[in-house]
Amino acid sequence: MAVTDSSAARPEYAGPAPGEAAVTAEASAVAESVEILLIEDDPQDAFLVEELLADTNLDATITWVDTLRAARDRLPGFRGCVLLDLNLPDAGGMELLREVLTTAESAAVVVLTGLNDEHEGAAAVAAGAQDYLVKGQVDGALLARSLRYSIERQRSDENARQLREAEMYARENMRLERGLLPQVLLDRSPLTHRSFYRPGRKRALVGGDFFDAVEKNGTTHVIIGDVSGHGPDEAALGVNLRIAWRALVVGGVREEELLPALEEILTTERAQDEMYATLCQVSLDTGSETLRIRLFGHPPPLVLSDGIEEVAATPRPPLGVFPDSDLSVDEWPFPRGATLLLYTDGLVDAYDGAPPDRLEVGGLRRILQDIRDRGASTVDLPERLVDEAERRNGGPLQDDVAMLLLTHGTGP
Amino acid sequence: MDLKLDHYSEDDTEIVVVEGEIDVYTAPRLRELLIDLVNKGNFHLVVNMEKVEFLDSTGLGVLVGGLKRVRAHDGTLDLVCTQERILKIFRITGLTKVFGIYESVQDAIDKRKSK
Repeated sequence: MAVTDSSAARPEYAGPAPGEAAVTAEASAVAESVEILLIEDDPQDAFLVEELLADTNLDATITWVDTLRAARDRLPGFRGCVLLDLNLPDAGGMELLREVLTTAESAAVVVLTGLNDEHEGAAAVAAGAQDYLVKGQVDGALLARSLRYSIERQRSDENARQLREAEMYARENMRLERGLLPQVLLDRSPLTHRSFYRPGRKRALVGGDFFDAVEKNGTTHVIIGDVSGHGPDEAALGVNLRIAWRALVVGGVREEELLPALEEILTTERAQDEMYATLCQVSLDTGSETLRIRLFGHPPPLVLSDGIEEVAATPRPPLGVFPDSDLSVDEWPFPRGATLLLYTDGLVDAYDGAPPDRLEVGGLRRILQDIRDRGASTVDLPERLVDEAERRNGGPLQDDVAMLLLTHGTGP
Repeated sequence: MDLKLDHYSEDDTEIVVVEGEIDVYTAPRLRELLIDLVNKGNFHLVVNMEKVEFLDSTGLGVLVGGLKRVRAHDGTLDLVCTQERILKIFRITGLTKVFGIYESVQDAIDKRKSK
């Protein structure tokens, strides 16, 4: 059959060829509908395509445009099959094909070439078109089959592409998580640590939870924080803040200047003005049994010794909300043998039984008490705690949970 | 849980009524509404949170973002909330120092006007 210019060829397509009837019957069982965007400047060729398809079992909806300019309105997001003549008045050849392929990413593209430019068709397929057809050598069955196969091929290509993207995305998340949850620097600290991280239900939305701990010049500084919101911007900002904080501590910046400097970095690095971070910084001098605590919009840490105490530090607004000069610091006893639990709000935001009740800090304390009463060791606490929170939540938690347990040992 | 939004004008103030949960999924709608109201020249906002059941850090971020926007126009964004559960969230996050939190819409409007 021919998408051709020759009127002589047309009678051939007036009815189905003998072999075609079977194809038709077979295909009608599948009743496919295909959306076709025909980009062809020759009205006769365009008419012919319509005629050819009318005779097949393919349920085709054809939109005909005669220039690239007219096609541009329809290409973005188009998911059907583009039938493309490579010689248009306003564009042609591989350049035209490339524009169509990139604009209509999800469409199958079948190229129409003249008898004398069959090499162009082969080049088009090499460049990403699904198939090519030579005008004058096409009948209805061939055209329908080419369209069907092209769409199938495009679908499997797209599935493969999405899979590749998902894999890249997962690797990206892993990189971000590594940046957010580092190896702590506690070799010379009296604190030993146990860290824990469990991603939330929406795995794709990596959160901005981060922590770090660094011993410097006889003082151990620990930080846990959470950038508001979810997504790559938030996670990237979390990584920035964590590394910036470590650089400030390692660089010997004075303790009281750490968080003002970090806030300055946050306000200059954030992607949107409304992004902020809640965080808690704890500092302990080696040999001392008193913590210095700075709390910025973060849920308060818990101290586990004989009992479980909620550290009653003054809550200040999160970092980056409205920077102010309130630099007050709270102190809290932290005897040797005690353990400090730092965590992010994913834990306290869990449902407690049924909505609308949430776990909150009180619930967290009760769960911890319960787990300890049943004889769990400190090392196992984070897993046990999250498992119990998930049980009460009725499934995985929505948000990510990061936890850092620091035990005050006799230390080096 | 869904989020329902409504708003009306009263006494040179735009009252935004929020019902349900403001979390990572629903907060974008509240953000859009607040931006839209500010773009239309409403610089005195009161967000009525009496029917809010929960808000997470994203929800708080949207309220903070709204406050920053109206302040850029010398405006105000006050909250109406008497629920202990929600007030606790504002206390823990230190945001009681940032927002005016009132017991009723009338209270919020009166306080602003007496300033």
